[in-house]
Amino acid sequence: MLTIAELERYDRQILLEEIGPAGQEKLRRAKVFICGAGGLGSPAALYLAAAGIGAVKIIDHDRVSLSNLNRQILHGESDVDRFKVDSARDCLNRLNPHVTIETCTATVTPDNAAGLVAGSDVIIDALDNLDTRSILNKAAMNLCIPLIHGAVNGFEGRVLTILPGRSACLRCMHAGPSALPGKFPIIGVTPAVIGAIQATEAIKLLLGIGDLLLDRLIVYDGLRLRWTEFKVKLNPDCDHCGHLQQKERP
Amino acid sequence: MSIQVNLHKTHRQHTGGLETVDVDGRTVGECLRDLVNRYPGMGAVLFHSGGKLHHLIEIYLNMESAYPDELKKPVQDGDEIHITVMLAGG
Repeated sequence: MLTIAELERYDRQILLEEIGPAGQEKLRRAKVFICGAGGLGSPAALYLAAAGIGAVKIIDHDRVSLSNLNRQILHGESDVDRFKVDSARDCLNRLNPHVTIETCTATVTPDNAAGLVAGSDVIIDALDNLDTRSILNKAAMNLCIPLIHGAVNGFEGRVLTILPGRSACLRCMHAGPSALPGKFPIIGVTPAVIGAIQATEAIKLLLGIGDLLLDRLIVYDGLRLRWTEFKVKLNPDCDHCGHLQQKERP
Repeated sequence: MSIQVNLHKTHRQHTGGLETVDVDGRTVGECLRDLVNRYPGMGAVLFHSGGKLHHLIEIYLNMESAYPDELKKPVQDGDEIHITVMLAGG
């Protein structure tokens, strides 16, 4: 049961016919895994915590640096040199003490990925490199956990929601990891937009409402304020989710 | 045959700033080769030395992913190709 304080805190969203008290209870019972406490992880975590997600697990191996602060709004100048997950926990606790925040200072690897994401209802891909995204995608597919992909560069961003075996995964549309320069240009408003959409998708998915970005890659061009939607499709030969597709077939 | 190729922002430096280029070809691969013939700077952007597409390049044909075997996909007059790049940042 929601407490009186929670009913007041979430009053404006409980007013939504798609949410109501029952939907708010669903959010409170949900556990979201956020992979990365940087540019995308910051807005996603803040809006999910504000919405009353019951448990947020956030992982990042890195420490806060001054050059993060143009976009990673979980952290402030006094957090420089702290582990990102520590300042993220403090920030989210300040925002909403009703949310249980679990943190992990680690790098996602093929060996630990499944253990990290296990038990989550949905995973937010807030990573900053393709290699780790591929590892995360595989773990999500193996454990059948929905994955909400986001990525940014400059004024451009993209989002795709993945239901394992039912909609295209990252591997279905991409040959595999590729090396990219480590330092990419970015303005903070871009991950703000994309991370907020990832949070929107997570809320919709947890509540079972609306239309998800399944097989729909949306690409955001902030300079022109234009969205392009591309159709992506399950690859029957996908080595990450192909086995799940076979299960889904009659 | 006229196929319109839409270029990613980062590639337009190789086409004199053009955002779209009309090309000829019966497959996506032929269209991209025609693009490279017209704008040789696109060659290294799109292809490995062995002639395969770079992993970071994504090809959409009529707004739909052409992966896998992008280069073999047949095209028709009036079709539209979008070239985009994988984004890594977060």
